[in-house]
Amino acid sequence: MRIVSILLACGFAFGLDTVVSQQFQSLYRLVVLAGLYITLAVSLNLINGITGQFSIGHAAFYMVGAYSAGFISKTFYAGQVSPQVWMVGMAILGALFAAIAGFIVGLPSLRLRGDYLAIVTLGFGEILRIVTQNIEPIGGAYGMNVKPFGSPPQTLWLAWILAVLCIAVCRNLLKTAHGLPFLAVREDEVASSAMGVNTSSTKVTAFIVGSAFAGGAGAILAHAESFISPDMFKMDVSFIILTMVVLGGTGSITGSVLAAVALFAIPEWLRNLQDPVTKVPIQIPGPALVASILAVVMTVALLKLAQDRYHGERVKKIGLLLGAIFAGSVAQMVLNLALSQIPSLAAKSFEAAALRMVIFAATLIILMLLRPQGMMAQHEFSWAWVARVFGKKEKVAA
Amino acid sequence: MLLATAALVLGLAGGCTPPSGTTGGTTASTTAGSTSGDPGTTPGTKRPDPTSDGATIGETINIGLVASQSGEQKPWGDDNIKGSQMAVDEVNKAGGINGKQIKLLVGDSQSAPEQGKSAALKLIADGIVGLLGEVASGITQQMAQVSKDAGIPIVAIGATRTDLADIGSNFFRVCYNDDFQGAVMAKFAWDYLKLKEVALMTDAKLPYSVGLSNSFRTSYEALGGKIVGEEKYQTTETQFSGYLSNLKAKNPAGVFLSGYFTQVGPIVSQMRQAGITVPVMGGDGWDSSDLITSGGEAIVGGFFCNHYNSKETRPEVQKFLADWKTKYGGEPGTTMGALGYDGAKLMIDAIKRAMDKGGTKSRDITAAIEDTENFPGVSGTITLKGFAGNPSKSALIVKVTKTGFVFEKSYTPEELK
Amino acid sequence: MAGLDFSILPQQLVNGLLLGSIYALIALGYTMVYGVLRLINFAHGEVFMLGSYAALFTSWALGFSPESVKGIDKASSPMNLIIMLVVSMVVCGLIGVVIEQLAYRPMRNQARIASLITAIGVSLFIQYAGGLFLPQSPPPAISEQINPFRNEKVTFTIKPAPKEAVDKANVAMAKARESDVLYEKAKLDGRPAAQLETMRQANQEAQNEASSLQTQVSSQTSGIVIPFGQLGMLLTTVFLMLLLWFVVQKTKTGRAMRAVAHDFDSAALMGINVGRVVTVTFMIGSALAGAGAMMYATVLRTPLTPFLGVAPGVKAFVAAVLGGIGNIPGAVFGGVLMGVVETLVVWLDGLIPGLGGYKDAVAFVVLIAVLLFRPGGLLGSSKVEKV
Repeated sequence: MRIVSILLACGFAFGLDTVVSQQFQSLYRLVVLAGLYITLAVSLNLINGITGQFSIGHAAFYMVGAYSAGFISKTFYAGQVSPQVWMVGMAILGALFAAIAGFIVGLPSLRLRGDYLAIVTLGFGEILRIVTQNIEPIGGAYGMNVKPFGSPPQTLWLAWILAVLCIAVCRNLLKTAHGLPFLAVREDEVASSAMGVNTSSTKVTAFIVGSAFAGGAGAILAHAESFISPDMFKMDVSFIILTMVVLGGTGSITGSVLAAVALFAIPEWLRNLQDPVTKVPIQIPGPALVASILAVVMTVALLKLAQDRYHGERVKKIGLLLGAIFAGSVAQMVLNLALSQIPSLAAKSFEAAALRMVIFAATLIILMLLRPQGMMAQHEFSWAWVARVFGKKEKVAA
Repeated sequence: MLLATAALVLGLAGGCTPPSGTTGGTTASTTAGSTSGDPGTTPGTKRPDPTSDGATIGETINIGLVASQSGEQKPWGDDNIKGSQMAVDEVNKAGGINGKQIKLLVGDSQSAPEQGKSAALKLIADGIVGLLGEVASGITQQMAQVSKDAGIPIVAIGATRTDLADIGSNFFRVCYNDDFQGAVMAKFAWDYLKLKEVALMTDAKLPYSVGLSNSFRTSYEALGGKIVGEEKYQTTETQFSGYLSNLKAKNPAGVFLSGYFTQVGPIVSQMRQAGITVPVMGGDGWDSSDLITSGGEAIVGGFFCNHYNSKETRPEVQKFLADWKTKYGGEPGTTMGALGYDGAKLMIDAIKRAMDKGGTKSRDITAAIEDTENFPGVSGTITLKGFAGNPSKSALIVKVTKTGFVFEKSYTPEELK
Repeated sequence: MAGLDFSILPQQLVNGLLLGSIYALIALGYTMVYGVLRLINFAHGEVFMLGSYAALFTSWALGFSPESVKGIDKASSPMNLIIMLVVSMVVCGLIGVVIEQLAYRPMRNQARIASLITAIGVSLFIQYAGGLFLPQSPPPAISEQINPFRNEKVTFTIKPAPKEAVDKANVAMAKARESDVLYEKAKLDGRPAAQLETMRQANQEAQNEASSLQTQVSSQTSGIVIPFGQLGMLLTTVFLMLLLWFVVQKTKTGRAMRAVAHDFDSAALMGINVGRVVTVTFMIGSALAGAGAMMYATVLRTPLTPFLGVAPGVKAFVAAVLGGIGNIPGAVFGGVLMGVVETLVVWLDGLIPGLGGYKDAVAFVVLIAVLLFRPGGLLGSSKVEKV
């Protein structure tokens, strides 16, 4: 079954490449980045979700991988081997350097818990970023150019294969006996220590593996983008990766994958929102925007009420749900009319693209309010589930 | 696991589709990775030519503009867009270029170099024949590289970093470069203000500021002046008392601040509070009506190098200001309004000349831009012919007063030799 | 000129103290919310930002918008400053309560990390929504004219400049004034251009001499100069902290806050309306940030952008953790320590050029070092989990 999964994943990557190369040339870069984010999210999930450590500085490992591989490529590559082989080598090198960083960060985790560990991981990321900003030979605050490497299809392959590898490794950890110590540390560290689990080595191992994959992704980033700067690895990036993990469901690899793709794709999709006919970016007038925001707030509040109050009663829940959406729409129209009366607001209009971060942030809040356990909670996609679905169908037919 | 890895590696090798036109390993790799302000284009160095002919001019003429619609650079980006849009609208109203209407496609660089590159790539994919932008040198560098690869001419609006012009022969600017600006201010400080010792305040996060400070230092020391110290801060900082105490101890006769007005105002204000009363000077990053608000009384009497001055009697300036007032109200917040306008007008003028000669491709437009002589811009007369992308322009030094900026002195390139 | 200049050390320490007081005010908000909810309120920096804008708009309403003050000297009164302070505090308090009610209260029973993500979402939302609606291009700043004390300063002289230097400077300044008057008169008289240029040069040299000597005297004076505005900032901060201490220690509400911080569920069982306590905590914490914001915008006259709160927010957060998160005196101590350390690093730049660029990193290094030895922060409790 495992071999089948992996071959299917390869087939998927191949198919993806074919489709993109034929239809959506300009999407190459986005697809590569999506693949990298999947690796980042799943590797962070290993540390946060599976081992239960609170690490919010993941971008640091991403950066170590990118800068180490980028610098070595820039300085030493002179066509010794074919670009593809070099890139794979660089990815491994980036992973190695990042693993060292992961080891260093993992050490405080032995003494610190919860929020304090979070601060330290965040601090570590910031220290690395500021140090990088001040080192001139690698570009300093401006950034570093890496010679463009490999054609887009090759980087796409590499990025997605790394993602598949990462998923495979994490999944194996999760489902086999190797993974039990990690889960044990997550559930109850004191108890597992009492049971003989080497909590120290488990925690540090989680950091090393998670950071290694992030470093590999970073190396690919450096070569795909051919330009890296410390600003690309700010705290925001760490937060976005963390959000992908939580939104997908901490501890669920499938969730991380889905959330990574979704959270990456939504802002990009919004950026390109144009009227299909005139190709002019869609404009939204000021009053409509404010009215929508207020209406959404109202709707979500009502939805949350429905969720909490009528926990088991399906009918009442759906009723209140529909009612909330209806009320929200009415509210939006009323408020829109009211706000249009204010001339300074009515004169303003916004491009849809400018709204994308606002919509992104709002989506985040709403999703957390309505489904805090994340998309997949702790569930995973598995062949067993597929079998069950199809098996059930057969049963019904018979 | 081993089996899986083997399968993956085979997949990688097998799945490699033949590389497309742009292979990895560009021959002309730039050295722009270092931020230590290279002294500039060595005369005689040939700028690499793009290999591609670029896009074809269609029924509508698509011109791309990459600017910062969000992020730290938003003030300059917004003015840039307004200026360029005003130019395009003006020409379209008068019938366009030989009857064809112009469309300005705007991409957001989000104040970040990699986003600028991404935006430029998208615009190129959308079929632009020429590219405008950007204001920040860091972002422009990425755009210049991809536009060279695609054969599209790029006219930078506010990017002053000298070595940008080395990226390709398709790169041009409407602003002067840092070498020039630094030399102008150095001469001003030495000859006009009679300052013998100057301290520098540099924004270490801005390649523009670092480059300008270095250029000032080189020229000033060449004239015989002494740089007694340099303090470096970061763009988003607000409390400068630490740096200023250090600066004061060096006893400068004057201070050169090469950063943006957003920090210069508070810095000078805190400077006076700290007891540093010596004259202050700066570059075009000071240009904004907001400088006076944030600098208050402290900044009055300061000097900076600018591209134009709103009190100038030149017809281009007055017409520009009148049109801006009608279309947007008030005055442009920064110089990028005028430079954006000039950039667009220059590009349009070049496209017209190219089309008149029978040209149909971006390559022809690039040649036309290279041929530009004595173009009457709001920011001064621009000649690009023979100057390898860096226009020969005069610099205006203005003095800050309570109500605005007044002309103090101008320098032509010849005067600096 | 390498080498440490110790004569400016006292001034640098005071600079650090002033910077630290702003961090302390923001840090208090973080620590109080964490104390009752165990939540890192990532949106706190944005509340700070909104407070700055509130102060800006109030200053415009009071008649000090850029257009109104252009070219003229408007008189202001201390009342204006007080109005701005109160408005900022009230606005921030309200915003804090709104955020708590809409975004955090529903998440009370969920996993902590879910609340954290919600906080991040709120933070991003305010930043980008602000980016759509708030004036930011170019970043507006509060007019200095609203501060009637802007030219006053308090000076403590440790070692005055040598008398000859002071006299020399005074002579030069008198000469400069004379020269200026002569030059202006010459301009009005319409002298020939060449003569005018010579006079201008002579005048310029006189001015240079005067300002240079003046600055030298200032640098030779070993002492501390605190502009009135910054002194006011420090005093207000101290006052607010004392007020807070009083509320927390001596009032019933304060006692309830302490109880909830100690043990959420037990406090509820004892009949404390925990919902109300949380709301009040948010209100006070946000109001304090509002005070800091008003002073940040008015005294330091920072140009405002919607992303203004990010950097101070992170630093204040580190300060709160440094002092022991949940610990109120700790937040103050941490904030001041952060300010002083940051400023000292800049001072040390005189010895090790380039060190100044690392000053933000130093803050984190100090934090990590402290946490490794005292995992609960400097003033926090280092409880070890025992089985």
